[in-house]
Amino acid sequence: MTTKTYVPNPVSPRVLGHHWSAKADRLQSATGVLMGVFLLFHLHFESSILLGKDAFYHVVHFLEGSIFSDDGKGFPIITQIISVFMLAVFVLHALTALRRFPTQLGQWRALQSSLNTIRHSDTRIWYFQLLTGAALFFLVPVHLFEMIQAPNIGPNMSAERVYHDNTWVLYALLLPAVVVHAVFGLYRVAVKWGLTFQRHKLRRFAHGLMIYLMVLGIASLMCYLLIGSELTLPVTPYSPS
Amino acid sequence: MSQGRTLTFNIFRFDPQQPGDKPKMVSYQLDETPGMTVFIALNRLREEQDSSLQFDFVCRAGICGSCAMVINGMPTLACRTLTSKFSDATITLMPLPGFELIGDLSVNTGKFMREIAERLKLWLHPRGDGQDIHVLEAPMDPEEAARLYELERCVECGVCVSACATKQMRETFVGAVGLMKIARFELDSRDARSVDDFYHVIGNQDGVFGCMTLLGCQDNCPKDLPHMQQIAYLRRKMSATLVSC
Amino acid sequence: MKIIYTDSLVVGAGLAGLRVAIASKERGLDTLVLSLIPAKRSHSAAAQGGMQASLGNTVKGMGDNEDVHFQDTVKGSDWGCDQQVARMFAHCAPKAVRELANWGVPWTRVTQGPRQVVVNAEKVTIEEAEAAHGLINARDFGGTKKWRTCYTADGTGHSLLYAVDNKAISMGIPVHERMEALKIIHDGKRCHGVIARCLITGELRAYIAKSTTIATGGYGRIYEVSTNAIICEGIGQAMALETGVATLGNMEAVQFHPTAIVPVGILTTEGCRGDGGLLRDVDGHRFMPDYEPDKKELASRDVVSRRMTEHMRKGKGVDSPYGPHLWLDITLLGREHIETNLREVQEICEYFLGIDPAVDWIPVRPTQHYSMGGIRTDATGESPQLKGLFSVGEAACWDMHGFNRLGGNSLAETVVAGMIIGKYVADFGENNDLVVDTRLVEQAMGELSTEIDALIDGHGTESPYILKQEMQRIMMDYVGIFRNGPELDKAVEGLKALLERSRNLIVKNKKRHANPELVEALRVRRMIKVALTVACGAAARTESRGAHAREDFPQRNDRDWLKRTLCCWPDANALEPEIHYEDLDVMQMELPPGYRGYGIDNTIPHPDTATREAEIAVKLAELGENADRYTQQQALMPFELPQELMPKNERLIDKLSAQVGEKNS
Repeated sequence: MTTKTYVPNPVSPRVLGHHWSAKADRLQSATGVLMGVFLLFHLHFESSILLGKDAFYHVVHFLEGSIFSDDGKGFPIITQIISVFMLAVFVLHALTALRRFPTQLGQWRALQSSLNTIRHSDTRIWYFQLLTGAALFFLVPVHLFEMIQAPNIGPNMSAERVYHDNTWVLYALLLPAVVVHAVFGLYRVAVKWGLTFQRHKLRRFAHGLMIYLMVLGIASLMCYLLIGSELTLPVTPYSPS
Repeated sequence: MSQGRTLTFNIFRFDPQQPGDKPKMVSYQLDETPGMTVFIALNRLREEQDSSLQFDFVCRAGICGSCAMVINGMPTLACRTLTSKFSDATITLMPLPGFELIGDLSVNTGKFMREIAERLKLWLHPRGDGQDIHVLEAPMDPEEAARLYELERCVECGVCVSACATKQMRETFVGAVGLMKIARFELDSRDARSVDDFYHVIGNQDGVFGCMTLLGCQDNCPKDLPHMQQIAYLRRKMSATLVSC
Repeated sequence: MKIIYTDSLVVGAGLAGLRVAIASKERGLDTLVLSLIPAKRSHSAAAQGGMQASLGNTVKGMGDNEDVHFQDTVKGSDWGCDQQVARMFAHCAPKAVRELANWGVPWTRVTQGPRQVVVNAEKVTIEEAEAAHGLINARDFGGTKKWRTCYTADGTGHSLLYAVDNKAISMGIPVHERMEALKIIHDGKRCHGVIARCLITGELRAYIAKSTTIATGGYGRIYEVSTNAIICEGIGQAMALETGVATLGNMEAVQFHPTAIVPVGILTTEGCRGDGGLLRDVDGHRFMPDYEPDKKELASRDVVSRRMTEHMRKGKGVDSPYGPHLWLDITLLGREHIETNLREVQEICEYFLGIDPAVDWIPVRPTQHYSMGGIRTDATGESPQLKGLFSVGEAACWDMHGFNRLGGNSLAETVVAGMIIGKYVADFGENNDLVVDTRLVEQAMGELSTEIDALIDGHGTESPYILKQEMQRIMMDYVGIFRNGPELDKAVEGLKALLERSRNLIVKNKKRHANPELVEALRVRRMIKVALTVACGAAARTESRGAHAREDFPQRNDRDWLKRTLCCWPDANALEPEIHYEDLDVMQMELPPGYRGYGIDNTIPHPDTATREAEIAVKLAELGENADRYTQQQALMPFELPQELMPKNERLIDKLSAQVGEKNS
């Protein structure tokens, strides 16, 4: 029997406002934006290798605060500090984003059934974000711990890591996951908080940005592999001629 | 162009009250006629081929919101969907997901809508003054009235609920229809509730902060309501309330 | 046997039914509503254009009041209405509009300053007063002296229904959805409730109540093409008819709306013409001024529909595979106006016709639209035959519409009559006890259950779908806009044959729960009876009045036909209803019958008309020149209302003149 006598429900405690959910929502967006913007810079900085070893060398040293150091080589500890900071941001983001993660089998089934029944591109995009998010949950800490333990960044040292230490496998997985997740994450934050009403234009832009970042990332990864293959062990840090 | 085609309708069939019945897809063939809508087609199928086929239509003019179903993967109003719209002569009809199934394509959206109205108190809570119906009415900004009407065009068809993967995954989430209606009353200067009152209703994980902005609601709404804009507005407003308190 | 008890039972959750339920609940009565569908899906939502109420805020409505609204309504009815009821209605309409504003309806408001409108195909600038800024606006509709139709863009019915249903939800009024009432429980004098069938489980339930209010809407679907929702099948009227004692009034009064789209018959609002839209023929010629030079497209609905049909009969229609049609041209209103004020019309054109009404003309044809007739009630909404049976809205013949309803008066009737009759229903609930006679309940339930058994397990051969189609065809072909004796006789004979065949119905689908074919079978037999009351009433009425136009009797015959048709069906085995008549007393009328203002005046006058006119002149002279309009009205035709609805309506003009008065003193 589906028809029934309706009586107004007493408000259940579950539906009462909870300031933590507002905070979590803000935090998720804020940490997401922070990491997304960081990624945009990160990818551009590291792809300076495409302009030659010198270019990358100077970018790294500039970022490591070379102008403040006596020997002009900067402080690698800055990389460690930034890595620790980003790890913290990452943890916050992961914790707040986990609220969204389907935790029960029933929820997964509902999601699959919704994706199968209803054709909707933004939902599909979110699904990719969910999957990439899950991948990043494992991949990003690996990358960050690596940076914290051995913050040796430079044209030769990085290339050695990529080629000889086989980190390229990590990057090959990390790159597409992080690009898809970040680009559409930024898009979602913009529409979520009503920062734009030109949604369709923004989505086209996001698609373009995604392709651009992938090309950029793949090109620089190839470049590191190429450099790495030409290096002989043991590798000495690069210094500009 | 649309004349002479034979359409194949793949229709979801299941009678939950019939012991032993299992959900299945059944195919029907029908000659297409000019101006044929899914409403016309389903009625002909029922009258000519299978009198047990269940579906709901009331106004058959896109006004009442009774007939939403999933047509070739798109949740929409069946009465105003012309069959000629589909270049492929196969049309798949599924009931709206996320609602109690009455049978075949008929779902209980009415029960859902009434419950959400009670849960979120979706009615005007008038201010105490100006309730005398014998004297001149209180003036209202004409622009405000027009804005409210735009939000009031919702027909409670349930499309936004079925097109929302968030809602499908989380039963307790209020869904777009509830949020849109809250936004409508929040904007109404006649409503006595404060932002704080609304915060207590939707300022939580089951409310506006549970929305993941998948926008299935906005993209499928047969009335083109501005869900994205309104939910973003509520999110900002509810979030600001949190900061101020 | 499942029995549910309540104080106030309402059948139908449209605007009228919900408004009555709210009125009962306000007085603390236990209230329960039955509905075929969720309340917000009711056909009330389809009313686009607006509701009439003489607020007089817009400059084009200045000078409007209850008197003008009353006169328009009576003239519109072709003097077929109950003038007391029309008075009650006109007096309460502004109150209902204001009440609805308090319940959340976002009425379109007046904006001060100049505004461009289209009147008679020309752009005109009107200047709205500063004092009117923000007050409820009104638009022009057919057959009215003033701009009186209050609206929310073109979704007025939708806004009203949502506001009223929200109010009902806030009061915790239960609506039992997908319950179909099929039988009235009664003992020939007193109504005790209804037997209803759940459309999901098939369960039969008895609802026992002090008062039972039928608010099930009209019976448009006895016609093949109708603007009505597909649930408007006249089952409420049929239930009353099947009691054998309750009567249906003026069933032959069926309105055809001039502008429904071809072929599907979906309505485009009268607001299209009210806002300046034109009717054009095959040559693109605007033909209405040729027939009605004064009112043109905004003549009363029955007149416009007849003129359109006449014009098409002259070969001026546009040929289409679905027969001839004419054009509705709203392109001159401009895209902005269409996209804001005629949005639903635009959507309908886009989805059902694939055209853009800002550029293209809309194919339209007069189509069945409204049932003026219905369950006959007195002014308090109660059946004169069955105590405790009330009816309200389109389902009823409260009789404010007579033989033709003005656009905007139906939406108004739902909430105004709901407001007034709701109070009488509540009074009844307070003053009467619940009567429970289980023998009667069992009998009624047994009859229905036998009927269902026969449909499922019987030996019948007739298909409900075929019978329904044949009935609808007969109504279309022989009981349309123009009627004549031979065709009406054919209709009556055809329907009688169908009624006989309907006793031999069978369903192929044998399920006892959700079974759409069974629903159809239960309804079709009832619908044929309702169709017979329409056809028999039309055949018997040998005159033309309002929407009832007889080619063989073109005159309005006040001498012989100033009376209301009453149908009842005392013998369940009979093949046609019994018809008798109720006189309209000219000597009690505030507005004695006169010329309506369309075409030639060929009325055969009632002998009392001249006497009553003279009497009115004397009464007014006695009051002197200084008597205000309220005193004059009271002297001519006093009317009663529940006390709380008696206060006068304040208008902008009263407020302004009061201010002027203060300044002068």
